[in-house]
Amino acid sequence: MLQGALAGLAAGGLYAVLGVCLTLMSRLVRVVNFAQAATGMFGTYVAVWLVSDAGLPIWPAVAVGVVIGGSISALIGIIIGTWLPEADTGSRSAVTVAVLLFLISLSFILFGNRPQPFRPVLSGPAFQVSGVVISQVAIFTVVVAVLVALSAHVVLTKTSVGIRLRALSERPTTAELVGIPARTLSVAVWATTGAVGTLVVAIVAPTQSNDATALSMLVVPAAAAALLGGFRRLDLAVVGGLVLGVLQGAAAQLSQLSVARHFLPFLFIVGLLVWSQRKEVWDAAR
Amino acid sequence: MRLVDRPWTAHQVRLTRLARPFMVAAVAIAAGLGLSAALPGYYVYLAISVIVAAVALLGLGIVSGSAGMIALCQLTFAAVGAWVVTGLNVAGAPGGFVLWLAAGGLVAGVVGLLVGLPALRLRGVNLAVVTLGLAAAVDVALVQVQFPGTTEGRFVDRPGPFGDDRSYFILCVLVLAACCLAVHFVQQGRWGSGWKSVAFSERGTAAAGGSVSSSKLTAFATSATLGGISGGLVVGQVGLALPASFTPIQSLALYVLAIMAGAYLIDMAIFGAVLWVAVPELLKRWGVPQDWGFVVFGVLGVQALTSGTNLGMIIRTALWRRSASKPVAPTVSDAAPSVSDAAPSVSDAAPTSDPAPHPSPAPARGSMVLEVDDLSMSFGHVQALRGVQLAVPEGAVVGLIGPNGAGKSTLVDVISGFLPRATGTVRLDGVSMAGRSPTRRARLGLRRTFQQDRVPPGLTVGAYVRYVARRRLAAEDIAEVLDFFGCPPERTRLADVDAGRRRLVEVAGHVLAQPRILLLDEPAAGLSHDEHLALAQRLRQAPARFGLSMLLIEHDLDLVRSVCDTITVLDFGEVLASGPQADVLADPAVLKAYMGETEML
Repeated sequence: MLQGALAGLAAGGLYAVLGVCLTLMSRLVRVVNFAQAATGMFGTYVAVWLVSDAGLPIWPAVAVGVVIGGSISALIGIIIGTWLPEADTGSRSAVTVAVLLFLISLSFILFGNRPQPFRPVLSGPAFQVSGVVISQVAIFTVVVAVLVALSAHVVLTKTSVGIRLRALSERPTTAELVGIPARTLSVAVWATTGAVGTLVVAIVAPTQSNDATALSMLVVPAAAAALLGGFRRLDLAVVGGLVLGVLQGAAAQLSQLSVARHFLPFLFIVGLLVWSQRKEVWDAAR
Repeated sequence: MRLVDRPWTAHQVRLTRLARPFMVAAVAIAAGLGLSAALPGYYVYLAISVIVAAVALLGLGIVSGSAGMIALCQLTFAAVGAWVVTGLNVAGAPGGFVLWLAAGGLVAGVVGLLVGLPALRLRGVNLAVVTLGLAAAVDVALVQVQFPGTTEGRFVDRPGPFGDDRSYFILCVLVLAACCLAVHFVQQGRWGSGWKSVAFSERGTAAAGGSVSSSKLTAFATSATLGGISGGLVVGQVGLALPASFTPIQSLALYVLAIMAGAYLIDMAIFGAVLWVAVPELLKRWGVPQDWGFVVFGVLGVQALTSGTNLGMIIRTALWRRSASKPVAPTVSDAAPSVSDAAPSVSDAAPTSDPAPHPSPAPARGSMVLEVDDLSMSFGHVQALRGVQLAVPEGAVVGLIGPNGAGKSTLVDVISGFLPRATGTVRLDGVSMAGRSPTRRARLGLRRTFQQDRVPPGLTVGAYVRYVARRRLAAEDIAEVLDFFGCPPERTRLADVDAGRRRLVEVAGHVLAQPRILLLDEPAAGLSHDEHLALAQRLRQAPARFGLSMLLIEHDLDLVRSVCDTITVLDFGEVLASGPQADVLADPAVLKAYMGETEML
């Protein structure tokens, strides 16, 4: 049980990183990016292809994959920023649903619809505590999750770029009028989250069920993690991801829960929403 | 002449409106019969797939098109329908396929209600997260569990006379026709108006006494029911239910297709379904991998979502332009000229227009309809309202004026229940409104209009005022009130009405609701000067004519002066002066605060 829970930590770290990315995007560019995990999946598949078919060593291949993931994400950002600059979050997010469909189908065409032959970047146990193994991947993802959240927090609160980004997210038009390069900054947010997402997916994917659909649907637990922080708080997004991963890992150990555990992220989401939306809220400011 | 004509034509219109859908359905069924006989066998099978997709798309059209929500699990509901049908088959339940199909739809609808329940108060994105989560979970679970009877190979038999593909196709056509008719009439009715209203503005919906959550919930559940029926039909088509028919990617693709095609229009849902089947089929024939179909859908979906258009809208606009450019177009251009006619005809249509120089409120003045006591509201450190006191007597029109930012609209928001954090009391006919939602207040007869456009463009004038009025209305009554306020006639689409006049339609709708009190938030904005004067005259007559009281929030002093006998002045969130018009307007403090800051006409 404890072993299972700790095994879930790797997945939990992945959810946490993706959840942090989702939170950042929701705050800074007003999008819930449904293609977040799919972008990572696509970049990762490119990396896998470079290793298996082009014979590249693993790290350069992952680097190329990360660049591609970041570029795809930036491209979506450019499209949304150009055509829906003032639209509400719902309309902007809907576009990423179409992108999600596009990326999954395209990966079926390019890479087939079977799980990919991954060579793990990190493998093996990091250390053992009284018979319980903690893997390197788990350590890596948890550290990355905390690092990403921390650095995002520092950038947003302490640097001038961060202040501009926040101005941009709250008053896009006004920010542009006072001379903040809105387009460039928001595309940079898209590119960064895309690249970070790809990196963690590439490292954790070998330990997950790694067909294109399953990897793209990682956006669901990631959204659950982000929801714990209300798509605003980075620390809670990290906590949410880790808790969800550990819960799933523990549930996987119980055969009675083998079907029910798939519904964990869904139930997590529903529970959080029911709690956070218990008070009536209205759509427009007035 | 016109008055004599009207009831008869209205009656006729209503008859054709009822009969036409049935005629279309009959023609469609006849066409289905023809196709089932004429098409080669393989095409009949494909045609069944089209119908299956069409039923699912009809549902998606409601939830994504009419109600404006993102729902990404339509095929999960189809899987529920399929599960029920296969389960009943394995259990040997009585009733046969058609009954099981209906049961599948019903169960899917209930599941939709349960999933939608937490989504009640959610914005579109949260619903998208919930539905995608459900789709992903059910997908993985289905592969693990499998549908009842699949592993044992227990095939579901089609019902007696519909055994082979050709006759099963006919059954599908009948089911589709029934679904389309149902959707058509629901869309025309209160539910449909509620969906379109909620998609445009939740505040507008609540102010009209509509429940935002039940509108969303009915849309979602109706859509799920149709999804369930579609899943049941697949089982009849294939004989078995396979998890591969209900994957999340296909749900995503269906959603994108619904947006792209404009599936809230019934014909476009069917057209979308044709694309759904034809695109992969053609690709297969050309030797291209079928996954390209979804890649294309993805690209076109991005295009449709970023441009905010869809095929149905494009086609309809093109057709409308063509028919409008013709010299004698039957329906559209009939309605158009009478829009411009409406304004002049008002003065004849309003027989009680006595040119009284001063407003004469209803005689019985004892009781207060609306009492506001010690109302305060702050946003952070900004005190928007401070100890505001206000009363509107029975049958009176009280004016509320004040410079920009004085808190007028905040006051209306508080009174109508949109700012529950405010302190103080609001009483309607002596009953405290504390703890009541905007919807409740509206239903109790406390109505308001908005300064912003909250009139859903997707409705006709008639459908909108019926929705806002929330009571059975004769066509003549509607026509009379629309005429009285100088609104375009019932059949005009609100999208074709200019913003200023749209707000008059809003006022007319709320007047038709026969509220106890109506709060009008700058109703004259966007109207010309002449229209201002006409509106002032109407408003003055309204209390006596429709038996309501009004609180008129205005910027335009001319309008207030000619309509209201009592005036309250608000400045920096406080009541500066209150009382008879002449006294208030002569008050030096008012002159200083008000006229010093805004231009007087």
